[in-house]
Amino acid sequence: MMNAVEINNLSVSVGSKKLVSDVSLNVEAGSWLTIIGPNGAGKTTLIEAVAGIRKFGPGSVKISGQDMAQLNERDRARLLAFVPQNPLVPAGMSVRDYVTLGRTSYHGMLRAPTAGDRAVVDSVLERLSLQQFAKQNISVLSGGERQRTVIARALAQSTMVVVLDEPITGLDLRHQMELLELLKKEVAECGLTVLATLHDLTLAGQFADRLVLLDKSEVVLDGPAHDIIRNPELASRYGMQFRVVDVDGSDVVVPVRS
Amino acid sequence: MTFSPPTTRRVVVVSVFTLALLVIAVVCGLVVGPTSVSNSRIFGSLFAHIGIGHSTLDQMQTTVIWQLRAPRLVLGLLAGAMLAVAGGSYQGVFRNPLADPYLLGVAAGAGIGATFAIMDVGHGLSTPTWTPMLAFIGALVAVGATWAIGGRGSHSNEGTLILAGVAIAALLTSAQTFLQQQASANSIARVYIWLLGSLASSNWSSVNLILPYVIVCITVCILCGRALDVMSVGENEARSLGLPVRRIRFIVILASSLGTAAIVSVVGLIGFVGIIVPHIVRLLVGISNRRILPISAALGAAFLVIADTIARTAIAPSELPIGVITAAVGAPVFVFILSFRKFS
Repeated sequence: MMNAVEINNLSVSVGSKKLVSDVSLNVEAGSWLTIIGPNGAGKTTLIEAVAGIRKFGPGSVKISGQDMAQLNERDRARLLAFVPQNPLVPAGMSVRDYVTLGRTSYHGMLRAPTAGDRAVVDSVLERLSLQQFAKQNISVLSGGERQRTVIARALAQSTMVVVLDEPITGLDLRHQMELLELLKKEVAECGLTVLATLHDLTLAGQFADRLVLLDKSEVVLDGPAHDIIRNPELASRYGMQFRVVDVDGSDVVVPVRS
Repeated sequence: MTFSPPTTRRVVVVSVFTLALLVIAVVCGLVVGPTSVSNSRIFGSLFAHIGIGHSTLDQMQTTVIWQLRAPRLVLGLLAGAMLAVAGGSYQGVFRNPLADPYLLGVAAGAGIGATFAIMDVGHGLSTPTWTPMLAFIGALVAVGATWAIGGRGSHSNEGTLILAGVAIAALLTSAQTFLQQQASANSIARVYIWLLGSLASSNWSSVNLILPYVIVCITVCILCGRALDVMSVGENEARSLGLPVRRIRFIVILASSLGTAAIVSVVGLIGFVGIIVPHIVRLLVGISNRRILPISAALGAAFLVIADTIARTAIAPSELPIGVITAAVGAPVFVFILSFRKFS
């Protein structure tokens, strides 16, 4: 299967400090790769560099075979959608208007959204069960509904690849599961490629096809989710002890008090 | 402050109300004044100008209406519309509710330019032609310096621009204060009057001077309304949605600053319109700049003409500074709408 995302020898530095060092990764089209790692490992920096909102060098990022560095904002937005860790939600904007922002790269700056754009927005609102909130002020939604709306905006971009930085931060367990299930459904049914960062190792292992452990700016482990979760090096990289137990065929990571 | 997304009906009602207010303002601007001229004669003359019927105004009345009130009315409309649109655009591009058209140093730059002219620093500059010209140049130099310091380079953002604007404004204001300290009492008084802003010296040549700038700049800002809505999610997210954020920021700031500089050079510093009018509109029609900017243009135009009508008639034959009226009328209206929206 072809690679939707190709990251080659990517480095990000601030002054003399390397935040991401010589990272190379490929993500197959229609699969889910999650980057895990302790705080300060460089996960967010890497994902922002891939999304094109952080400068990097040397290295390259290709989405669907196209070098992101050679593309303008509009073309990048048609290839890759980005969900930041703390999205800025404009108070007073309706859910529909917010999701329609995802169509910016298609209708342009001067023209209104076309009937085609509105159809895409309607379809996304329906898939994510957001129709009943369409006219509501986004800032009065609950945390789970709001995060679903942010995901809807990303899906409205109609890209092959969605990059998410800690998409379940601040959500309760039910809403975490709901959101990840929604994304998993998009991967299964629409062939979406997901590149995400997650802190929760259990959820990372359960939803991703592949896990990459990033530590001290470098890729340390890379492989199928089940193998990485059970790799003894994982605990040592986090500087703690945990056990992995099998619950109905799913790996559950249980921290052990020292 | 949070607002509910407006219904289409509310937007239509607000638009119609604003247009009605604009018509009332235009009528007041032409009809109200110390020289009494009957309304029917004024409108007869107005229609005569477009080829319907003939004017019955005598020579003096024609001069009062067409050489004093009409250019003043048109200048008021242009200034009010431009300041309101520039304020709304700045608030959108900087995502800062306190942004006004003078944020990036336009006022300080125009102020020092006008002070140079009024004090005749360069000798031979103290003519009515030089004051607007130097004010215009001063305003553009100030905004250019602000942009050069805070708006260029990969690390520039809204914050660096605002801080650069504050620094440039402080520097130019201190230079202006120094100049004024060296000036005669007469010059200081003239600078002070200029700083307060006024439409009193309006004529058709000043209207013709600024008309192209204002039309182009207002059009550009309104066309960028949709892009400003995308920018409301922040610079990084807007870029990830496909918006060329830096280019849009440059275009909006250029258009707002150029239009404001043109207005300030002719009418001086008129405060409050640029900050209060877009906020009133935002409270009424929601946060979308596609609605805020055009409605602000109409409301700003109406607001300034009504304020000027009060300024020139309240203590006739003297005039009140128009800035006093814009604040005295605008603030209570704003507080009323704010309270009304909060309780509804």
